[in-house]
Amino acid sequence: MTNAVVLNALSKTYPGGKKAVDAVSIALSPGEVFGFLGPNGAGKTTTVKLLSGMLAPTSGDCAVFGLDPAQNPEKVHALSGIVTEHAQMYDTLTGLQNLLFFGDLYGLSPEESQRRSSQLLEEMDLTSAKDQKLSAYSTGMRQRLSLARALMHQPKILFLDEPTSGLDPESAQNVHTLIHNLASQQGITVFLCTHQLRYAQEICTQYGLMDQGRLLAQGTLEALRAKVHSGLKVKLQAQKVPPEFSPYQTASHEFLIPIQSEGEIPQLARRVLDSGGDLYHLSAQLPSLEDIYFELTKEKGASV
Amino acid sequence: MNRPMTAIIKKDIRGVTANKRMFTTLLVVPLVLVVFLPTVFILSLHFMPDENGELLKLLKLLPLNVQAGSTPSALTHLLFNYILPVFFLFIPIMASSVMAASSFVGEKEKHTLETLLYCPLSLQQIFRAKVLASFFLSMGVSLLSFLCMLVVVEGESFLITHSLVLPKINWLLILLLVSPALSLIAITLTVRVSAKAQSVEDAQQGAVFLLMPVLLMIIGQFTGVLLVSGWLLLAIGLVCAVLAALLLKNAINHFKYETLLKQ
Repeated sequence: MTNAVVLNALSKTYPGGKKAVDAVSIALSPGEVFGFLGPNGAGKTTTVKLLSGMLAPTSGDCAVFGLDPAQNPEKVHALSGIVTEHAQMYDTLTGLQNLLFFGDLYGLSPEESQRRSSQLLEEMDLTSAKDQKLSAYSTGMRQRLSLARALMHQPKILFLDEPTSGLDPESAQNVHTLIHNLASQQGITVFLCTHQLRYAQEICTQYGLMDQGRLLAQGTLEALRAKVHSGLKVKLQAQKVPPEFSPYQTASHEFLIPIQSEGEIPQLARRVLDSGGDLYHLSAQLPSLEDIYFELTKEKGASV
Repeated sequence: MNRPMTAIIKKDIRGVTANKRMFTTLLVVPLVLVVFLPTVFILSLHFMPDENGELLKLLKLLPLNVQAGSTPSALTHLLFNYILPVFFLFIPIMASSVMAASSFVGEKEKHTLETLLYCPLSLQQIFRAKVLASFFLSMGVSLLSFLCMLVVVEGESFLITHSLVLPKINWLLILLLVSPALSLIAITLTVRVSAKAQSVEDAQQGAVFLLMPVLLMIIGQFTGVLLVSGWLLLAIGLVCAVLAALLLKNAINHFKYETLLKQ
């Protein structure tokens, strides 16, 4: 089966000399929700622009469902829906008119365009605002309408660059739920660029962690956890603990103790109890994406 | 022209016509030029008659094929068949200059260009759709101005000289060939400027301050061309049409998405 996205030693250096993407290689199967994560300036947006054919790579290549975006941008656009911060819609048109216009651009028949618009407005909870000009829309409504626009032609893949940027937590949560539903119910491949690692952890099936144009690591959450040596921690609520636990105290009677493997947990409990301590709570805490990301950037910093 | 291109053309034209203030300005200026000015001219002929026939003698020196007749009918003929056609060379260019200048850079400033580029249309198709939108608007304004002018000038001529002014074949050549071809050249160049510009002001300066004076200078020579022969007009029209077609086909051959989106 053709991979949904392939990046093969993809690099992009801007005319000023800034290396935005540095030899990144990724392969994604159809149906994945790929979280492309990293801080601002990590090279996420440049990668989306390379994948949509807006930029030509300096070296390496990439493909979307087997099509090279640099050679066949129109064909790639026909099967992708792209939402970026700079891809806005027309303020002078209503929400519905905007969707109908983009339906026309994607070659939908007038009836199909009308049907898809109504359906998507309903799904995005925008039916009541469909006849309002876009200038009257809030940021959250605009973002949802952009998502509807990107879905008009039923794309095989969605490229979403910071789709929740500028949204309040509730709207951001709604957008993430929508993305999750699209992937799970319609099997759309999602390439999600975000710096909100916590949200990404809830909806993505694969992750790529970027920093300064380099891909630090790629894989499922489990695979990434396996890469981080000291990721596992034990949360402990206890009194009268042995003195060697003091450096790990986070609050009164609370400790967060790093361990190498789950096999160390019984030993740890025994240590507290044998020293005459009272144990109220003990739980293993797996490293979150944030923990993994910071660990990987720390490792990279140390190796430089 | 396919459905997506038609959608861009319709959207762009609606963008101008929906803005009542801008659309009125677009219509008022041509109407002043081809309705108000000729009216003043024809009425002044009526109220200030050439009693000694001095003007008629002067007119006979011009190769106008003036029928033996009164000064007012000869001057109306001169105005209608030799001066007014020239107006129709720059009215369409003028009417579409603002729209053409903001065609790409206007979208860029509103952050809608990227969205447009993400559609399954080639850059050539988007470029052609942008050019054709301005072209159709310019031709619409031009045709409307022509119809208003025809009604007013013929009406006034009939009232004053009791006869209609017969249009020469030149009118047909100007309206159907030279004017559309020249507008298409101007619009294609302006849209190209817009695609490379960083701001609407930038594009308008490039188009209005560099392109327009050159075009108007060339157009200024057309009264002479009209006096020489219809064949010369046809030849010029054909050359302009070929040039317009070549420009439309090749103007953005080397353009890339990156060039258009450059901040």
